[in-house]
Amino acid sequence: MLTHKRRNEVVISEKEAASWIKDGMTIGIGGLLSSSHPMAIIRQIIKNKTKNLTVIAGSAGLELDLLIGAGSVRKVIISLMTGEVIATVGPMFRRAVQRGEVEIWEVDESMYAASLQAAALGIPFIPSKAGIGTSFPEINPDLKIFNDPITDELLLAVPALKPDIAILHAAYSDPYGNVQHVGTGFADRALYRAAEKVIVQVEKLVPNEEIKKNPSATSIPGADRIIRAPFGAHPGSSPGFYLEDKDHMKEYQSAASLTVKEDYPKYLEDYLDRYIHEPETNLDYLEKIGVRRLLSLYEY
Amino acid sequence: MKKKYSDDYSIQELMAVFLSHDLKDGEIAHLGANQPIPRAAVLLAHLMHAPNMKISQSLTISNLINEPLPQPYSEFFTDWRRARWAESYRLGHEVFSDVKRFADFFFLGAIQIDKYGNINLIGTGNNYRQLIFRGPGSGASAVASTYCKRIYLISNTHQKRFFVEKCDFISAVGWGNGGKNARKELGLPGGGPKYVLTPLCVMDFEPETKKMRLKSMHPGVELEEIIKNTGFELVIPSELPYTEPPSIEEIEIIRTRIDLGGTLRK
Repeated sequence: MLTHKRRNEVVISEKEAASWIKDGMTIGIGGLLSSSHPMAIIRQIIKNKTKNLTVIAGSAGLELDLLIGAGSVRKVIISLMTGEVIATVGPMFRRAVQRGEVEIWEVDESMYAASLQAAALGIPFIPSKAGIGTSFPEINPDLKIFNDPITDELLLAVPALKPDIAILHAAYSDPYGNVQHVGTGFADRALYRAAEKVIVQVEKLVPNEEIKKNPSATSIPGADRIIRAPFGAHPGSSPGFYLEDKDHMKEYQSAASLTVKEDYPKYLEDYLDRYIHEPETNLDYLEKIGVRRLLSLYEY
Repeated sequence: MKKKYSDDYSIQELMAVFLSHDLKDGEIAHLGANQPIPRAAVLLAHLMHAPNMKISQSLTISNLINEPLPQPYSEFFTDWRRARWAESYRLGHEVFSDVKRFADFFFLGAIQIDKYGNINLIGTGNNYRQLIFRGPGSGASAVASTYCKRIYLISNTHQKRFFVEKCDFISAVGWGNGGKNARKELGLPGGGPKYVLTPLCVMDFEPETKKMRLKSMHPGVELEEIIKNTGFELVIPSELPYTEPPSIEEIEIIRTRIDLGGTLRK
């Protein structure tokens, strides 16, 4: 007689998620500029003192600066790194790159998308016109100029980039890993398709029935693991939930830029101690930020 | 009706008005964040002569013609309040999968611009592994300069260290090594850089050599000042007009519907 089988729930803690990420791995980070980065997981990675990561970040914001400042990163794949109005270029990123401590695999945004698509398709490269006539093939020797076999035009071969694990932040998921974004979802779907494994932290866990009310909103039909992380993108924004915490971003920026300016690591170390090493979990972190501050990010 | 010129305007307002005249109805305009001059140019064109413009911002597409006061919101590109106007979303990775509808024109700033309108957003120095000054990176500039019909290069200051003979690195190609076929030979379909705007002047490119050429000086600026602050030999035309000042109507629209906070006057 057939016995009823139970479907697996995939919800884990941010601590467990971060333990998936080992020294030397290649990770993809979702979100864009100052929004929707999986900060709850990123803070745990820093707590774990994970080292030598290759970070596929695309158009990165200060989350990448923080990871670099904490000493977790060996190489970055970026088209852009900016803290926008807070810092045109992140201070820790700039210093590490100028000193040659962090290597860059330099692309533009379209080549970044192409490299993820090549990985998703399981092919070695995608041809690109963008980049012809520029310094990209010279500063990133993995980008190869070739003559198209059909029209003989000059093209750039953009190699596939496959993250071992993609870590993303989204609005909702059910316990089975059916994820729905609010807003565009940036390039999160592309990271999901390219990556071997995907962990998504969400603002809210919802029942499976909620997902089935609007299946066309499901952006990621099958994350490997889900983390419940309300306010988990703080100090970045989370579409439909909260805006950027400009004051907190400034607090980070000032710690990082003083560390660089005075060549005195204590400023950044104090920030890391206070906001990353002392709080055990995402909820402990949120308590430190404070309920008044968090709720103020709703108001506009 | 004769145009009535305003005698009360800022240089940034003048730059926005100049750009707005070059934007056409029905075009797709891409707006970055914290770009007050392009934002004002696009919205002014939209309100004055381009009601069918599609405005791409914060990964949404909107039309703001019926919006009495389109708020700039915060300086963050990702400020999702702009999604209240969205008629559709754009997915980060799919924006580039339809290059003819990516954007008709694009505004770019840079840490270096050379005499052929090539730009550098990567960094300065001779050695890429040990840059003297690391820039933010290309963003979408390489793909935009490959495909868009027009590129507008905008610099908030006019200094020798930005306007250089040769960029240390090229993150987006303009007119390459010069010559009218420069882009054709590289197989680049887009129209290349059209104008370069600074607080001192408007520049374009001489059609045969594609060398940067002075087009007009902003009212009150002296030719000597421009030459002194440009790191290469600019082509100077025999007739050198002043940039057309904004009209009274244009300034009124900017100040009452687009830039209430007065960002362009700071």
